[in-house]
Amino acid sequence: MPLLAAEGVSHLGGYFFISSAMFVLGIFTMVTRRNAIYVLMGAELILNAAALNFVAFARHHGGAGALDGQMFAIFIIILAAAEAAVALGIVLQLYHHFPTIDVSKPDRLGD
Amino acid sequence: MFWFFGGCALAGAALVALMPKLVHSAFALVLSLLGVAGLYWTLGADFLGGVQLLVYVGGITILFIYGIMLTPRDATRWSLGTLVLPGVLVAVPVAVLMSVAWQGLAAALKPAAPVTSAPTTDAIGTALLMRDQYLIPFELSSLVLLAALVGSVYLARRRKGG
Repeated sequence: MPLLAAEGVSHLGGYFFISSAMFVLGIFTMVTRRNAIYVLMGAELILNAAALNFVAFARHHGGAGALDGQMFAIFIIILAAAEAAVALGIVLQLYHHFPTIDVSKPDRLGD
Repeated sequence: MFWFFGGCALAGAALVALMPKLVHSAFALVLSLLGVAGLYWTLGADFLGGVQLLVYVGGITILFIYGIMLTPRDATRWSLGTLVLPGVLVAVPVAVLMSVAWQGLAAALKPAAPVTSAPTTDAIGTALLMRDQYLIPFELSSLVLLAALVGSVYLARRRKGG
């Protein structure tokens, strides 16, 4: 049995509100912070908001498409995991090349 | 239950955006991700909630905390302040856009489909392995994960003399 099912479908608007608020806060985090790790956190918030929207709307729609939203969310999670691993590797390498992870400081790609 | 998890997600996201220290933001991100996992459960997506818990709360957060520990502390101090105005200038139009989109959507939405509360793990596994459904994306995502694994190890290793 799914936990806690059968409750949330009636208020799709609530899910939309929460996911768009997370999206806006993620954008705000990405824009206001200069630290590369903060920018990544904002990206994670945005990805989560998008996945939540997929699942909520697919659930509202129902039928055969109800599972498709969950599949999209699963692939979003897969890509977000890959993205986080690679991006943090890049951040560490950035820190080895420059003494900072301030995203406005690095100004060259090579040595 | 919905508002509890939704409140967790929102409060976590707000704290990520506003907390002065990076580590605090990382733990606020954990709160937000937990809230999203709970919201998946309220939507009947039990498998997806578990995946969210394992991959995001258990995995990506650990990566973030490693990233925080491996970078200098003075680089992680509060960088809000100078960029608040651009942030507001970007975030407010997006929020307005969202509410406008919702106004349009709410009029066009059909009533909610009847709730079926069946476990989804079996259906997701079948859908992943059916050739006419998600087999190709499934195999491609394993390729992406392999590339990400090799690439991140290559990127994060310490180069000699570098």
